[in-house]
Amino acid sequence: MSLLVIEHLTKQFGGLLAVNDCNLSVEVGEIHALIGPNGAGKTTLINQISGAQRPTKGRIRFDGHEITHLPQHQRVRLGLARTFQITNLFRSYTVLENLELAVQARSGSSFRFWSPVKREKALREEAEQIAEMLGLTPRNHTPAAQLSHGEQRQLEVGLALACKPKLLLLDEPMAGMGPEESGQMVELIDRLSQSVTILLVEHDMDAVFRLARRISVLVYGQVIASGPPEAIRANPEVHKAYLGDDPGGQHP
Amino acid sequence: MRYGPILLLLGLLLAFPPIASATGLEFYTGLLTKLMIFALAAGSLNLILGYGGMVSFGHAAYFGVGAYTAAILAREGVSSAWVIWPVALALSGLLAFLIGAVCLRTRGVYFIMITLAFAQMIYFLVVSFKQYGGEDGLRARRPDFGLFELSDTTLYYLTLAVLAAVLYGLYRLVNSRFGRVLQAIRENESRTAAIGYPVYRFQLVAFVIAGVLAGLAGVLMAHYTEYASPNLLAWQQSGHLMMMVILGGVGQFWGGVLGAATLLLVEEILQDLTLYWQLGVGLILLLVVLFAPRGLAGLLRRRAG
Repeated sequence: MSLLVIEHLTKQFGGLLAVNDCNLSVEVGEIHALIGPNGAGKTTLINQISGAQRPTKGRIRFDGHEITHLPQHQRVRLGLARTFQITNLFRSYTVLENLELAVQARSGSSFRFWSPVKREKALREEAEQIAEMLGLTPRNHTPAAQLSHGEQRQLEVGLALACKPKLLLLDEPMAGMGPEESGQMVELIDRLSQSVTILLVEHDMDAVFRLARRISVLVYGQVIASGPPEAIRANPEVHKAYLGDDPGGQHP
Repeated sequence: MRYGPILLLLGLLLAFPPIASATGLEFYTGLLTKLMIFALAAGSLNLILGYGGMVSFGHAAYFGVGAYTAAILAREGVSSAWVIWPVALALSGLLAFLIGAVCLRTRGVYFIMITLAFAQMIYFLVVSFKQYGGEDGLRARRPDFGLFELSDTTLYYLTLAVLAAVLYGLYRLVNSRFGRVLQAIRENESRTAAIGYPVYRFQLVAFVIAGVLAGLAGVLMAHYTEYASPNLLAWQQSGHLMMMVILGGVGQFWGGVLGAATLLLVEEILQDLTLYWQLGVGLILLLVVLFAPRGLAGLLRRRAG
């Protein structure tokens, strides 16, 4: 069953077609990797799925809902959460405060003006559980800005996870990581995939081929191939795109 | 929060008017009333500017509309404060809702300019009503409360009670769920949206609350001076309120109160000493911005803990 279906999605910035008539579907329970050279439109696609940007054309369906024009917060409520390629945390807040904010977003109304939020034990306890799953418990009271890069990336995933999503959009979770940190992240994503569907944008091919059940290749805003890892590895078009011998040559 | 110093201050303020009148210093009761009114206005601006990160350069609009509503209703023969207050607060809130609904679609310097532009439109609109005094402003008799006569002394106590209640409410608010989200938006808007908060709605609600509270300060100001002046609406007044917040401490709980009290006292003192008092005010503001970026409240906090 398809959890996410993207049809003829197009995003135009002035004269630039960042995403061009793109079709993609993500099945329930899979880790679906989205790869492609720099500037292929991967982040633009993530932005449109999450609702940070509106598409020029096309439609997006998620879990039986038409979400093309839905505002971002309603998509999160339906179970769509994302991470950012460039770490995007509440930098001056501690690990727990970061996670509590995300937990609070989905547990009851936040238009409450009187009771002190710090006394809400349930929020704190859930945040602690998520921190534990991330392996960040020793850093619970450390401001996000003081975490190591690898820990920040884990918290980045944790914030999306705290939204209890059905589909997790991971935008280059391994960005800027050394081999050891990457290894931990692969392990974390592998563990998460048992309970949540994942659309993974990643440049680290080792990680992609280790994790993904299916891979889609995005080039110049279009999905040129989609299939299991072996098929993608053997696909001549993909090789051409990655080796850069584009016959048209008009693209940088 | 430590209650000791607050209770002490409250006690001193409660005891002040009888002591002042016994020693012939009634003037200072009036001055303190004015300080408290501005503390309320600056505190309301601090909610959106400090806690919400919304640099509104048009806060005088709500302040002035509160004052003018009180004055115009009084001119039209409405004498009951039980009518004047709710109408003035509702109008300031409605205005903040309409202006906020438009302005909050913009960010950064555009937000600053468009809030300023709206406030200037209100200014010129009010000045154009010749039947309500135009550029001369409008005299406004003090209203009837029914329970007590609104003398200088009871106005002082009324202002003190309103300020105390509002500050307590704001204290609850900034520590509530809502307050936490508001501050999260200031810290990182895109992430707050990405974890599922309707950012715009939170900002608009805060904007309206701040507008209502500024309107409340405006009503008290009209009672205090028995007059509504177009100056209350002018952009200089918005700047004045911003200076208070920056001086006192942006996003510091006591920032608005400390800033209003300090700035008005410094102005009062310097005006007696020299014709060039604005230079002195400017220098003080410069020093605070350079050496105490979190304002006087930030300084006190560091000293205390």
